[in-house]
Amino acid sequence: MANNEHTITIDGTEIHFKAGQTIMDAALSAKIYIPHLCHYPGLTPSGNCRLCVVELNGKHVTACTTQAQFGQQIRNQTPELHAARMAITQMLFVEGNHICPSCEKSGNCKLQAMGYYLGMRDEHYPQFNPRREMDASHPAVLLDRSRCILCDLCVRASREVDGKNVFAIAGRGIHAHLIVNSASGKLGDSDIAVDDVAANICPVGAILIKEKGYVTPIGRRIYDQRMISEVAFDEHVPEHEEHGND
Amino acid sequence: MTDHKIKIATTSLAGCFGCHMSFLDMDEKLAILSEYIEFNRSPFTDIKHCEPSDIGLIEGGVCTAENVHVLREFRTHCRILVAVGACAITGGVPAMRNYFDLRDCLEEAYLHGAGITNPQIPNDTELPLLLDKVYPVGDVVKIDYFLPGCPPPADAFLQLLLPLLDGKAPQMTGEKLHYD
Amino acid sequence: MTTGQSSESASKKGVRRIAIDPVTRVEGHGKITLLLDSDNHIREARFHIVEFRGFEKFIQGRPYWEVPFFVQRLCGICPVSHQLAAAKAVDQLAGVDRLTPTATKLRRLLHFGQILQSHALHFFHLTSPDFLFGFGSDPVRRNIVGVLEKHPEIALQGVKLRKYGQQIIEAITGKRVHGTGTLPGGMNKPLTTGWRDALLADIENILLWSGNAVKLNEQIHTANPEHADFATFPSNYLSLTGEKGELELYHGELRARYPDGAFIFDQFDYCDYQQILREEVRSWSYMKFPYLHQLGKDHGWYRVGPLARVNNCDRISTPRAEAERKRFRAYGHDKPIHSTLAYHWARMIEALHCAESIQNLLHDPDISGTELVAEKGDRRHEGIGVIEAPRGTLFHHYQVNDEGIVTRANLIVSTTSNNQAMNESIRIVANRYLDGREITEGLLNHLEVAVRAYDPCLSCATHALGKMPLQVELVDARGALIHRLVKNSDGQYEQCITIQGGNY
Repeated sequence: MANNEHTITIDGTEIHFKAGQTIMDAALSAKIYIPHLCHYPGLTPSGNCRLCVVELNGKHVTACTTQAQFGQQIRNQTPELHAARMAITQMLFVEGNHICPSCEKSGNCKLQAMGYYLGMRDEHYPQFNPRREMDASHPAVLLDRSRCILCDLCVRASREVDGKNVFAIAGRGIHAHLIVNSASGKLGDSDIAVDDVAANICPVGAILIKEKGYVTPIGRRIYDQRMISEVAFDEHVPEHEEHGND
Repeated sequence: MTDHKIKIATTSLAGCFGCHMSFLDMDEKLAILSEYIEFNRSPFTDIKHCEPSDIGLIEGGVCTAENVHVLREFRTHCRILVAVGACAITGGVPAMRNYFDLRDCLEEAYLHGAGITNPQIPNDTELPLLLDKVYPVGDVVKIDYFLPGCPPPADAFLQLLLPLLDGKAPQMTGEKLHYD
Repeated sequence: MTTGQSSESASKKGVRRIAIDPVTRVEGHGKITLLLDSDNHIREARFHIVEFRGFEKFIQGRPYWEVPFFVQRLCGICPVSHQLAAAKAVDQLAGVDRLTPTATKLRRLLHFGQILQSHALHFFHLTSPDFLFGFGSDPVRRNIVGVLEKHPEIALQGVKLRKYGQQIIEAITGKRVHGTGTLPGGMNKPLTTGWRDALLADIENILLWSGNAVKLNEQIHTANPEHADFATFPSNYLSLTGEKGELELYHGELRARYPDGAFIFDQFDYCDYQQILREEVRSWSYMKFPYLHQLGKDHGWYRVGPLARVNNCDRISTPRAEAERKRFRAYGHDKPIHSTLAYHWARMIEALHCAESIQNLLHDPDISGTELVAEKGDRRHEGIGVIEAPRGTLFHHYQVNDEGIVTRANLIVSTTSNNQAMNESIRIVANRYLDGREITEGLLNHLEVAVRAYDPCLSCATHALGKMPLQVELVDARGALIHRLVKNSDGQYEQCITIQGGNY
């Protein structure tokens, strides 16, 4: 390694990092998987899903928002962190209406893939069965809030890549929900377009392109073929200029 | 010889029978397996009540008072109780009625449907009481193992049963995990 | 002719109630109740569907392209039928009137695979024990495991027939149960040549075994004079037929016949089904009672499924099944056969037709084509898909709004159409075999044999999913339990008699 001052250690493996990288960035570059749902390389980290929490010098920190610093000793794969990640994932399932069998995102859904990765066999907690508003007003984009996990990837993508600011999270705690920045509050009156990153980045089945469901046959869907822990290394938001940044 | 056979009881509560179909998808392996297992109460047999069994396989969630009764009977009599499939584990697609008022569902089906004559909500002592919601079986009784999927593939049943035939606890690995 | 007497009769003095709960070796959950007077004469016999799902309600608010994968969860035995009926409606919603030849043929192949596996499952796994061992035989052996031990060659042919149908489903939908496949206006993947060649390699055996199954059922039916009269009654019949009156399982027009074989109507466009069908609700079952509007509630009920289809059609397009249909017709002196147990024979004739049709499709060059999706037209607000599911004519009807969201759904599933007929069947069997006699396990199984002939899928029928486990209860005029027959795990019926000062 060229620069011995730029290394951290994750579960006993010493890896290199570039100045300014977070622990998550460094881990992804070194092909070490730290579970995450709300992080997407190329967007500002938000640290809200809590799945990437790792142990650093006895403290719990989110890998996506913590700067890598020389000599950090990080624990990622521990039974305790696994248990916490399982609990978080199970809670995300029961808080929304995640009925994988009939969901069109099935096979391409990161929440589901996280369940596979963690070995989740049941949802453990009582189902919330929320009734949340569906917004089908846009001709090409569908918003089913009952599946939203509030990762705010769409919020950041719209702002940072599409340059539009279509989405926001309103409310707090159990009342937090995704809102649309238009006069009517409807997606149909917003300026979202079908090829916006915000319309395509949803890790679950909350924001969907209409009439595209079930097009990919079973067996060829993303997580039929690879685990989320491999797919994560290939992800990066497209360059800004492709999306007519105003 | 019969003494060594593993007794399996199965039932479908608020399920679609698809998990039972997946069990039959073991195909010719069923003929081999039938030398080592026997069915107790099951839709495949004419035994109507669960008796002491090694394994109980529950398909479907809980949507009537009678489902609760049957599920408790299985818990009492089965040494190992397995929730099979998405509906048993989470309520599944039938649990989508949970987002509505039960009365609205009944009215839609029996009062407001197209071409309905003699509209009324069926209400007879012969019909078991419907529960307000569809519940996962784990909300009602303790479950020992979960086989996710809609339905779980036939191999998942083998993965569960084969160690038991050797007198070992099932080792559920993540390889076949699919929620579909 | 109707069994729809009011349940108040139960409260008359000296009336006893008997319940078979659950009915087993059928798909879904139902029970049979009998009311007997003090001389053990049957007052009333009813077949109840005791579960409710509410699909019509909770599909509202879902996007229309989701519907086929949502509604196929009605039933794990015929999910393909629901997916395809819904897909036909969805094609219309997407403004597509004509699929590509490959997509149409893939859907037909999928449907033939579905009917083959469902028919094999019903005869070999569920019903064959009644006929191979006898209605009143030892209940411990009266199941598929018993057949595997006693008649392994028959059982294994059945297992492999079902497996073959399931493999076709897997090849096209990616999974044996609840796969994907249909898209608005087409299909999502071609049939690989690997799958086609693997399926072709086994087809001669499948033809042979399904031919054997027809012979076995003809022999069972004709060798037992009692079978011809078992639960036999004249009825109307409804099914799709092709444009030349041929047996048609995937797409055709509606045909209905009176019991004497005369047409009630023919070549009726199924999109107008609401003009001819009504559904009556009765207080004692979650399953409705459909009837032909023009004939009224009492005379308009009809039967669907294999017996209706084979009675209704003028011919079958594949030669081996057509030869078997002619033998069936000759047995019935060229009139509709009304014997309920003839369902089994007709079902296996259809299985053979499926095997032949599968062979034809696998040899058709279009089946490996890659033109899978037709161009969409203008979105429409209403779609109606009708198909002949294994158990009979299946209606799916959806309305959607401008945003593509379902606002209304109406489903008439196959088993529902046989509701009145199943009730007639158990009433006849109860009067013939139980009336005035002491109840035994064998007699109770006679009632289940009558219901089983219809291959009822009670999961579907409640727009639900269920179980069907037998218990008979006698209740006195005040509703107190006085007598219960329960099938034990050894298959023996246990009698529990509780005298509670009732009238009995």
